[in-house]
Amino acid sequence: MRDRIIHEIARSVVAAGGVENVIQALVEAITRGAEAKGCTLLTLKEGGRRLVHRVSYGVGKGGLGEGNILADHALEHILEGNPLFIWDMASDPRVIRKEEADREGVASMLFLPVRDSKGVNGLMQLYFSEGKKLGGEELAFLDALAELGGFILEKAEAQELLLRDAEDAHRDLLQMRKERRHFLSFLSMVTHDLKSPLVAVQGYLKVLLRKSADCLDERMIAGIRRSIQRLDAMMELVSDLLELSRLESGQMLYEFKTVSWEEVLGAAVEMAHELAEPKGITVATEIHRPLPEVFASDIRLQQLILNLVSNSVRFTPRGGRITIRARLENDAVIVGVEDEGTGIEPEKLPHIFEEFYKGDPESPEGTGLGLSICKRIVDQHHGAIWAESPVPETKKGTRVTFSIPVGVICRLEDKWLLEENVSPSLPGKPKGGKE
Amino acid sequence: MAKKILLADDDPEVVDATSMLLEDEGYEVITAKDGAEALEKIKEENPDLLILDLLMPHVDGFGVFKALEDPAFAKWSKIPIIILTSVRREVSNRRYELETGRSMSYGAYLEKPAEPDELLATVSSLIGNAG
Repeated sequence: MRDRIIHEIARSVVAAGGVENVIQALVEAITRGAEAKGCTLLTLKEGGRRLVHRVSYGVGKGGLGEGNILADHALEHILEGNPLFIWDMASDPRVIRKEEADREGVASMLFLPVRDSKGVNGLMQLYFSEGKKLGGEELAFLDALAELGGFILEKAEAQELLLRDAEDAHRDLLQMRKERRHFLSFLSMVTHDLKSPLVAVQGYLKVLLRKSADCLDERMIAGIRRSIQRLDAMMELVSDLLELSRLESGQMLYEFKTVSWEEVLGAAVEMAHELAEPKGITVATEIHRPLPEVFASDIRLQQLILNLVSNSVRFTPRGGRITIRARLENDAVIVGVEDEGTGIEPEKLPHIFEEFYKGDPESPEGTGLGLSICKRIVDQHHGAIWAESPVPETKKGTRVTFSIPVGVICRLEDKWLLEENVSPSLPGKPKGGKE
Repeated sequence: MAKKILLADDDPEVVDATSMLLEDEGYEVITAKDGAEALEKIKEENPDLLILDLLMPHVDGFGVFKALEDPAFAKWSKIPIIILTSVRREVSNRRYELETGRSMSYGAYLEKPAEPDELLATVSSLIGNAG
């Protein structure tokens, strides 16, 4: 019972006041209450081989406070769990530095082993300036207080370790952020350097084609046209690679804010029309309002929908139709893009969200990255994406559906990536710490 | 007299291909490889139109823009400008607003790669035919 009570007290007291304050108060209260000259609390470190001064009241830190005034065997006996009271410091054979005791004016000393849940973790020394008689009950009570000190020391150890871990983690986080910034700026540079020559070369080809169409035969003209197209494809690949890398490194999280699904869909549908109309494809919508607001990136959600639409446009013949649906269901917004196009073979279906997976490897169109970018965007919004082909209701085409939860989901690591100035602070951390 | 166009871009290929295109249509083309050279040539040559790249060394396109707002360039502050760049329009507009507190105003903004026909149509809409 005694253990339980003491443990409870230790926990709530430390939570309220912080370790330093409590052990300071402890040694002071004990000194005054026992009408002693002073009191020192020492911690046992290095697996029980060294006593280190932790706090004292009424007596100097050096000398007596160092914890080595007793002969080794006497000290060992105490640290095995046996309290010791030395009535006369000046003449007791167990005291090895009598001159210290004399200098401080200490006549008697009480040595109390201090315990925590695992065993003895320290020593409490109580100093008396005159010969003192302590009754059995008083000794037992002081012993209980020493034990309280022990539990508190245990909490202090744990807290220090926690703080050290938090500081390490913080340092790693800052390093990670720095590296990510470097990487992103490197990426921008590289993509620019990759794209510029492609743009220049394509520009030349276009102008040459224009100028010399009269003196080139059909085959040469076709060759130049093909070259221009292939350069377009390369530029798209470079852009997609940049996108993917940006998404990988969490760039998107910076764009998160409160957005309206209705606005996102409105803009996406408008752009979908622009993509589909030139190819003679109609866009139908089935949007069940009202739709909620969500903490997300509106540009990415639009990009997601448009990627799906442009896939559908690519594989749907002229005169075909694409349907965009959206509804709220069980705390998530579900959006589907459905077409009547050529569909996806069943054996390919499980792979379509992989990077560089192209439904038709021979086709020059598309980079194979579009759907993996879609999946990244969905992942970063903690949602899910899946495809059905053929569409069960119509037996043809493809439908890609994704769901995005409505609740603000912000994992701890997301939060730390977003906040630039997070610093660890725990209750009881001594003021004037390193930060 | 033929209309004069000042083309500023640090990529020699872009400068060559675009000059070829414009000269074929009858325009006179002066070129500059960065913003500093562009500003000098504006003073020397009095072009009727500027085609400006944004990302150039020393003085970039934004630098030219800002310089043209300075009283020293008052005589040329009304020259129509076509921005021809790989930077996305919203990005440029936002950057300019952040840096100067004003919105960027230009005759036209074309994102590279631009179709030759589109470029010619844009030039013509701003200064007419070569003349």
